[in-house]
Amino acid sequence: MGPLVPNEIIGSGWDFLIAFVIGISFGFILERAGFSSSRKLAGVFYGYDAVVLKVFFTAAITAMLGLLYFSLFDWINLDLVYVNPTYLGSAVVGGVIMGLGFIIGGYCPGTSVCAASIGKVDAMIFIGGAFIGSFIFAELYPLIKPFFMSGFMGYIKISDFFGISGGVFALMVIIAAAMMFWGAEWAEKQFPREEY
Amino acid sequence: MNPRILTTALIGLIGLIIAMVPENTTKQFQLTASELIDEMEEGSEYIHPDELAEWLINKDPSIQLIDIRTPIEFEKFHLDNAINIPLSQLLKDEWVDYLNQGVKMNILYSNGNTLAHDSWMILRQFGYDNNYVLQGGLNYWTETILNPTSPPPHSPNDELAKYEFRKGASGYFGGSTVSKTQTTNKKTTKPKIKRRKKKKAPSGGC
Repeated sequence: MGPLVPNEIIGSGWDFLIAFVIGISFGFILERAGFSSSRKLAGVFYGYDAVVLKVFFTAAITAMLGLLYFSLFDWINLDLVYVNPTYLGSAVVGGVIMGLGFIIGGYCPGTSVCAASIGKVDAMIFIGGAFIGSFIFAELYPLIKPFFMSGFMGYIKISDFFGISGGVFALMVIIAAAMMFWGAEWAEKQFPREEY
Repeated sequence: MNPRILTTALIGLIGLIIAMVPENTTKQFQLTASELIDEMEEGSEYIHPDELAEWLINKDPSIQLIDIRTPIEFEKFHLDNAINIPLSQLLKDEWVDYLNQGVKMNILYSNGNTLAHDSWMILRQFGYDNNYVLQGGLNYWTETILNPTSPPPHSPNDELAKYEFRKGASGYFGGSTVSKTQTTNKKTTKPKIKRRKKKKAPSGGC
């Protein structure tokens, strides 16, 4: 049956509207969960607040299990689900830059928009910075391009790369998540902050 | 029990189950029945033997003949450069690269129409695009190309022209000596696979 849009159960004209509704809901829930606070987000790095880690990993596990079970019941054809292409070199460097920006600015791109929309000035400045960064990237693109395109591995999933089934990989992610949650809560007790 | 431990155990169990069950490898149909009927009504999946003969004489490199009969029948006789994908093996993974590609034009044939057309239907429902059916199969091929019968003397000109072409083609394909032709099984090269691009979805992030 699924995915609904590629299989034209929902016309492809609808996907932007659906993305819009999901996007608004996503932003709303981020805000309600307190993700518009840069201190909360930076807390993952300093160890005093692990909510971000827990929320995103829980979301990932829910989606992952959902897709795997849907596929098992023939509700979705995973071959039709888009997988982002992997460029290993730029993924590593991009990850480091993103992580640094996360700690320094206290936002990731999504939460910054979320916080700006409730009027937080630091988030607006963060967004400005993101635009400046994008501009610099675009101007330097000819120079960066060889590296940007390096390490292309195709539209690959980690489970395919290691030759294990998606289910086994999912179990490994769940175990890893449980251990991380446990570690994060231990850190929360180690580095408590009164008010943030 | 602590609800957090309970939740963790429950999710762990769900994960354990999904790790144990085999992955779903069923191929899902991409076309609905009514879409398929529309295509069948159009009849554009059929390739007439005359068309095929012309392409083969011109050595059109984009043609891939696929014989879906049994290997025994294939050994006895098959069209030049055809590969043998017996009907029983149509869904095997090893043939996917042949059947689902956008480079060569696959022409399926069997002795008659039925099996080739049924195979085409199955492949079409998987969303594979480049497959066609030799109209009338080998029987019709033999009838029209290898042993053409002359039309009555006062037929219209294009009938006569068609007959002339078929006579020529018959000579080219070694007509009437069907039984002992082409026993060499040429290895055909695997077509370079050009996967259809999956629909790009906007990439996410947090």
